[in-house]
Amino acid sequence: MGQFMIRRTLYAVITLFILSLTIFTVVRLTGDPVTLLAEPGARAEDLDRVRAEWGLDRPWPVQYLAFAKNVFTGQLGKSFNYEMPVSTLYFQRLPNSLELALAATLISFIVGIPAGLISAVKVNSGWDSLGKVVALLGLAIPGFWLGLVMILVFSVWLEWLPTSGQGDWRHLIMPAVALGWYFAASLLRLTRSSMLEVLRSEYIKLARLKGLPGYAVIAIHAFKNALIPVLTLAGINLVVMLNAAVIIEVIFAWPGIGRLLYEGIFQRDFPLVQGVVMEAGIMIVVINLIVDILYAYIDPRIRLTK
Amino acid sequence: MKNTTLTRRTVLRTAALATTALASPFVRGARAAATVFPKGKMVLAWHTNIAARWLDPQQHDGTASGDNFLMALQDALIKNFREVRYDHPALAERYEFAEDATSATFRLRPGIKFHDGSPVTPEDVKWSYEHYRGAWSEVLHEKTQGVEIIDDRSVRFHFNSPFLDFPILLGTANVCGAGWVVPAKYYEKVGQDGFMQKPIGAGPYKLVSQQPGVKLEFEAFEDYYRPVHVKQFTMVSVPEAATRLAMLERGEADIMYFVPGELIDRVKNNPKLMLAPVVSGNWWLEFPGFQDPKSPFHDKRVRQAISLAIDREAINQAESGGMGVVDGNWINDDVEYYIQWPKWERDVAKAKQLMAEAGYPNGFNVDWITPVPNFYSRGERIVAQLQSIGIRAKLQVMERGVFQKKMEGGLKEWRGVQIIMNATRIGGTWSNWYDSMFKCGGFQARDFFCVTDLDDKFKQYLASYDAEERKNLAEQIQREILENYYFVPVFRHAFVNAIGPRIAATKWQDVFPTYMTAGYPYPWEDIELKEAAATER
Repeated sequence: MGQFMIRRTLYAVITLFILSLTIFTVVRLTGDPVTLLAEPGARAEDLDRVRAEWGLDRPWPVQYLAFAKNVFTGQLGKSFNYEMPVSTLYFQRLPNSLELALAATLISFIVGIPAGLISAVKVNSGWDSLGKVVALLGLAIPGFWLGLVMILVFSVWLEWLPTSGQGDWRHLIMPAVALGWYFAASLLRLTRSSMLEVLRSEYIKLARLKGLPGYAVIAIHAFKNALIPVLTLAGINLVVMLNAAVIIEVIFAWPGIGRLLYEGIFQRDFPLVQGVVMEAGIMIVVINLIVDILYAYIDPRIRLTK
Repeated sequence: MKNTTLTRRTVLRTAALATTALASPFVRGARAAATVFPKGKMVLAWHTNIAARWLDPQQHDGTASGDNFLMALQDALIKNFREVRYDHPALAERYEFAEDATSATFRLRPGIKFHDGSPVTPEDVKWSYEHYRGAWSEVLHEKTQGVEIIDDRSVRFHFNSPFLDFPILLGTANVCGAGWVVPAKYYEKVGQDGFMQKPIGAGPYKLVSQQPGVKLEFEAFEDYYRPVHVKQFTMVSVPEAATRLAMLERGEADIMYFVPGELIDRVKNNPKLMLAPVVSGNWWLEFPGFQDPKSPFHDKRVRQAISLAIDREAINQAESGGMGVVDGNWINDDVEYYIQWPKWERDVAKAKQLMAEAGYPNGFNVDWITPVPNFYSRGERIVAQLQSIGIRAKLQVMERGVFQKKMEGGLKEWRGVQIIMNATRIGGTWSNWYDSMFKCGGFQARDFFCVTDLDDKFKQYLASYDAEERKNLAEQIQREILENYYFVPVFRHAFVNAIGPRIAATKWQDVFPTYMTAGYPYPWEDIELKEAAATER
């Protein structure tokens, strides 16, 4: 077990090292952040001074070592634009993204799972057709467009909800719906197909033959098993929503990680982009490492497999 | 705009006028300050993210975004203000610029304070200037011999040699931050990072809280020397234009910056809203490598033909809803020594004749026409219009970072027959434009043009201490560029903003009175809410 843990930890470290090299190189291929900072007409001397201040006049290996050192100290460097440690910025924005992602997840659950369940139980009925249409619209309508339409309808015309920003629960409704809409559709489809598969299985047929009432067969025997892949997908969706709700956060001026990343990319704020990507990478790698170790603990076959 | 030569006499005359003409509104202002009670809340929807350095004048990056924030939070000795380009007395009640331009003396207003209650002193002025490390800091420090504190309200700057541009640099908010006074002891105590987290200034609004990059909450500074009308002021970053406009329509914002073309009609059709088209950057065509005899642009007649073929009014109509300005110079009229130039004529027949005389009766191919990102549609219009004289071109679109990189690379990055549709807005003096955009080796000119004769004149201009000679040289150089069509000016576009119904204004200039030199609606303290809006809960 010890050897397994060491091996897995080593893999995780190598993964993060490759990630750090990749993101360090890729952001530098996108151009000089100083020329973007300055409007045309800024003096070359002033731009050189800023380059020196930001350490961009140093060779890449030196810059990489500074970046690696910052990752180890947990500060992730200092943002060019905010002039604050990236880790501080990230953790300031994390609760906001978490709030939005959880609300969107809740909406995707409320819409996607019951609709998928009904579609499967009443397969080929009008309900099923309605479910298919909802799923199709959910996957086809881009979140940013839905967001803009909702702002126009619910904020400008009906004046029911605030247009943007973070505040009370009313501020959360539209961004959560716009973000959760796509994921609701994907959950709907998965719940439906998973339920259909389970409903066709032998043990469900047996349960019916035993005379169990229909609701008990569906709720107790079928739904529980059909939920496993659905929850797996929901977990992945949550991580995506947490770290990559870029467009929705920009449209609704929601101060989350996605918007932070957008601003970093837009301004070529190298430390910020590197830091946000590294934080997300570390989050995923550490979670995977923990899951791997837990699997190995539960199932010895895994740790014995080379 | 009328250009005046800076001499001791004019400065003294200005100062004398300042103490009478300017004193009266301030006496009125002082009385008003006592009677005006700031009321209500105003929200500005800012169009990009908010960079921390914009709250700190010590780090002025030489661009036009920071002055939006500085004008609320901080204050300068002198500054651009309403119709005054750079020498409006702000923290200094008056100043005197020596006739030989080797010193400048500033007298601070009595009783002025920073937001923490500490007085603004000559020591703060000296410290702010000496520690300034933003745009133009090398030039300022190199030319300054020392800063002398004369008494508890006066401070004098001594220069190593005549420094004619000093007042312009000091007082142009979107060029340099050296004249902006920060509390020295506080800054030293908290350092640069601490200052950006909790900046203290002497401006009309004090910062109450900030969400980095997202929102700034201000409150009226009661001890400001001018009346401040709105009590709470929020600047919130909303990158999406449609959301900003929805905020304005809904009453969640009172001023929004940057209404893109596709949303202009929505504002126009809403009787509650008002457009504020501030005329901003200048656009022109340039021909990198035209000095090469093999280039078709080497012939002046070709460049002139291009100028004659362009429909500037149509471009202005399509690109700025007709709210931009079609004038003659490629340099903006808000800078020192700008010269006025008549509108360019449009005459396609004459253009064709010139092309034929130059040996191109059937025109020629241009490899690329490249507009400044992301204004690609402007480039498309030029491509279409040049077809009328047989110039066949393709449009090249680039992401901004790539464009800047290529511009920095010089001619080797622009091989073949190329036209660049360039643009800028630079404050201060005409020489900043020439230095960056035309001079051989300039930041955006590199080796594109290199007209030795003009560069020599520019050297002479820089070396001269004689204001009259400088003015003549400046005008001569600008004239030669225009007469020779080295640059072909197109138009000045409008930075279109919008104003909501809660603001008390009969015309947009009431909210943007400094539109000559800035795209933003300062002085912030002068903006008022309508009575109903000011008293609403």
